[in-house]
Amino acid sequence: MLVFIAKRLLWMIPSLFAVSFLAFVLIQLPPGDYVTTYIATLAASNEIVDQNTAAQLRERFGLDDPMLIQYFKWIWGILSRGDFGISFEWQQPVSDLIWERMALTLVLALATLIATWAIALPIGVYSAVRKYSIGDYFFTAFTFFGLAVPSFLLALVLMYVAAVEFGQDVGGLFSPQYENAPWSFAKMVDLFSHLWLPVIILAVSSTASLIRVMRANMLDELPKPYVTTARAKGLSEFRLLMKYPLMIALNPFISTIAWLLPNLISGSVVVAIVLNLPTAAPLLLQALMAQDMYLAGAFVLLICALTLIGSLISDILLALVDPRIRLE
Amino acid sequence: MPNEILSRGVTRRAVLGGMAGAAALSIAGRAFAADGEAPALAQLVKDGKLPPLAERLPKKPMVVTPFEKVGTYGGTLRRGLRGSSDHNGILRMVGNQSLVRWNLEFTAVQPNLAERWEVSDDATQFTFHLIEGVRWSDGHPFTADDVVFAIEDCVKNTELYSATPAQLAVAGKPVTVEKIDDYTVKFTFAAPNALYLENLATPLGQHPTLFPKHYCSQFLPKYNPNIEADAKNAGVTSWTELFRNRCGDIEIPTRWGNVVKPTLDPWVVKEPYVGGATRVVMTRNPYFWQVDTAGNQLPYIDEINFGISQDVESLMLNVISGKIDIQERHISVLANKPTLSQNMQKGDYRLLTLVPSASQQCQIYFNITHKDPAMRKMFADKSFRQALSIGINRQELIDIVYFGQSEPYQAGPRPTHPWYHEKYARQFTEYDADKAGAMLDQAGYKKGPDGFRVRPDGQKVFFSVDVIPTLYPDLVDALELVKTHWSQIGIDMKVNTIERALYYTRGDDNAHDAQVWPGPGGLDPMLDPRDFFAFHPQGSRYAIPWTLWYTSNGARGEEPPESQKKRMKLFDEARSTADLDKRGATMKQIFDIAAEEFETVGLCLAVGGFGIIRNNLRNVPEKQPDSWSWPNPGPSMPQQFTFTS
Repeated sequence: MLVFIAKRLLWMIPSLFAVSFLAFVLIQLPPGDYVTTYIATLAASNEIVDQNTAAQLRERFGLDDPMLIQYFKWIWGILSRGDFGISFEWQQPVSDLIWERMALTLVLALATLIATWAIALPIGVYSAVRKYSIGDYFFTAFTFFGLAVPSFLLALVLMYVAAVEFGQDVGGLFSPQYENAPWSFAKMVDLFSHLWLPVIILAVSSTASLIRVMRANMLDELPKPYVTTARAKGLSEFRLLMKYPLMIALNPFISTIAWLLPNLISGSVVVAIVLNLPTAAPLLLQALMAQDMYLAGAFVLLICALTLIGSLISDILLALVDPRIRLE
Repeated sequence: MPNEILSRGVTRRAVLGGMAGAAALSIAGRAFAADGEAPALAQLVKDGKLPPLAERLPKKPMVVTPFEKVGTYGGTLRRGLRGSSDHNGILRMVGNQSLVRWNLEFTAVQPNLAERWEVSDDATQFTFHLIEGVRWSDGHPFTADDVVFAIEDCVKNTELYSATPAQLAVAGKPVTVEKIDDYTVKFTFAAPNALYLENLATPLGQHPTLFPKHYCSQFLPKYNPNIEADAKNAGVTSWTELFRNRCGDIEIPTRWGNVVKPTLDPWVVKEPYVGGATRVVMTRNPYFWQVDTAGNQLPYIDEINFGISQDVESLMLNVISGKIDIQERHISVLANKPTLSQNMQKGDYRLLTLVPSASQQCQIYFNITHKDPAMRKMFADKSFRQALSIGINRQELIDIVYFGQSEPYQAGPRPTHPWYHEKYARQFTEYDADKAGAMLDQAGYKKGPDGFRVRPDGQKVFFSVDVIPTLYPDLVDALELVKTHWSQIGIDMKVNTIERALYYTRGDDNAHDAQVWPGPGGLDPMLDPRDFFAFHPQGSRYAIPWTLWYTSNGARGEEPPESQKKRMKLFDEARSTADLDKRGATMKQIFDIAAEEFETVGLCLAVGGFGIIRNNLRNVPEKQPDSWSWPNPGPSMPQQFTFTS
């Protein structure tokens, strides 16, 4: 097991290099560069940026270097000094910008994950065991509804109702007095009192699909001979369910942990923008649009690292949970 | 009605209808016993943490006549910014303290930090007399030294500004600024610069009052020999970067990212605009140098809270639920008007009318200097452009896209402007598909078997028009209608919706067939004449190579035809003419030629935007010009806005 983990960790290094390079290339692919975007922004308010100033900006940001050189400068900065570069737009070190955003993103992602599982697992098991009951039909209908409604629309509707009908303060993750305050217990409480709305919105669609997956898996397992055997031996229905069919049905849940993190970050972009959440997603989108490549690159790199770590975790968990899987 | 206002170096302009007499005028130089100050500041004085009011204000502070009534202190004004790169949203509200400023009607330049000035007869020398005793927000005196430092040491430093900003250079030479005495500075230009006072009143004219010498000099090698080491310690690569980070510039986010930089603004940064910020908070400047007519120090409002919304819809929601006090930026598109009108009671706000300073809602720029010779020949054919212009059903377009709130228009100053040019504005705006077809037949573009026209070289007439949907969604709708109108006269066009950077790259490379953009110059024809001749290297999209030729004095780009060169010469002449009648006559010649050449095709007169003001926020003019040169709402002086309880 330890050898397996060590091997996997080693493999992550070249993977990260490959991914970071690809990310860098992709960010550079659209026409123009940060300076073009900057000029476009200024020109929208009728300012003329002369060619000298543009050339000077490009030189200052090192945009005239070939892409490979820019990439190696960037990577070398990260490896040698942990320096992710400077955000062109904000003229601030990238590392100042990303950590708090990433932390809040992880909090939101984990909360959503827990909420999703807490709703999806029991309902999935219930609707498999009570197949074609009224409850099953109810949850099935709910499932399709949840899948069909785009989460940004749900966000807008909930915000409208909360703001206009109930006069609630919506949007953001903090009350105004805590927004720029240092971390404290009161701020944590404030965070959790704001977290439920985005968590519900983000959980609805993924809950729906997970219920279907859980139900189908359980239905596969339930008629199998080992279940009949166990039942014949007098095992209680609850223990019977928990012991084997559920464990096996959990397999797809665990093996998708790796995708969950990036999915929650990229899948929540629109919701985060609509709800004005201070997570990584809006900053990443803005960085991509402005071609602020070091900032965008750092985000992509971190998300990829999270994916790799996630897949390692899911492999370890699978080995622990599913008796059919062996690492040796 | 047009009201000609003549003042030193000021062009005459139309008074915007309905706004006459609504100005919050200020009179400098009146001796005044200023004695009112905000309770919080009075407390600080009592505690000995702040000098008394009399020591913070100039002896003769500038007196502002409040728009409605003398206000009361207190309150936090809430306003929205959008995502990042919205630094000009702060500039418009807070940063408007230049040497001079616009009046409310956008017709005349008025005293601000300079209480008076003299201009030499040839418009090359401008002598400004600063208000004595004005202090920066840290209490340090503001004097002629600061102005000289800002221009001579900062703006003219070639490492900081590789090219002197256009406003401060004439005939390729930068301005020279000298100190006459502590409160008098003289600006000398190499050639006449009659428009300088007007330029000085625009946001880009703020350089002379932007850099406090006692603070910013520590970031210049001339004053600080250890600057390179300081830059390294601060974690930046060069001293120029450090300077920009700490002292900012007119139009960059870092201007609002440093809480210790002294300013002359009514409010100073408390929570900075930095990457990842979710809001920006500004707090009152205890040394602000203006008072109201009752002698109370301005501003009335304690704090401004700019919430940063990533999305316009959530900003709209905040407006509707009454969580924003004044907002027009980002929400002022016509499509939002029904929603905002319906919710006036619920949100407890009234509407703010914006008078557009632009001329044209949608100008179509055919690329007359196209790289493909056949396309160039087609677009350069005047009768082709004229036929396409009368092939557009403008009334239908106005009714559908702009809710009937516009009129067919080509280009040039707006109808209320004294320089309004009837022919230039109205020619070829009548819809006549038959005549358009006949004109195209005659120009050699016969209809092919599929009903679409064919060029003389046998190729089908087809071109794309670039538009940025995220920036101007209404232009996409307008173009879709134009496409159907043109298909009826046999012209095949593609509405090419592209991203903003690509739009500019295509323009810069001269790789576009045609592009659209709102046409400026409706109320400020001298400040942005990009549609009248090839003036703007990114904006005159019908002939980018000609503009390069003009701006580089013939070194780059492509030599334009005679009619363009004549207009360029005329404009240079107008720019250096102090006499307003003569200047108007010169501009009329430019409009005459532009009307004759018919280079751009306009659709309709620019439509006014609007905004909201909460009912408890008073002293706000409910009709304001909408312009970058008059950076609304700044010139209406937010420092005299006040809340009623």
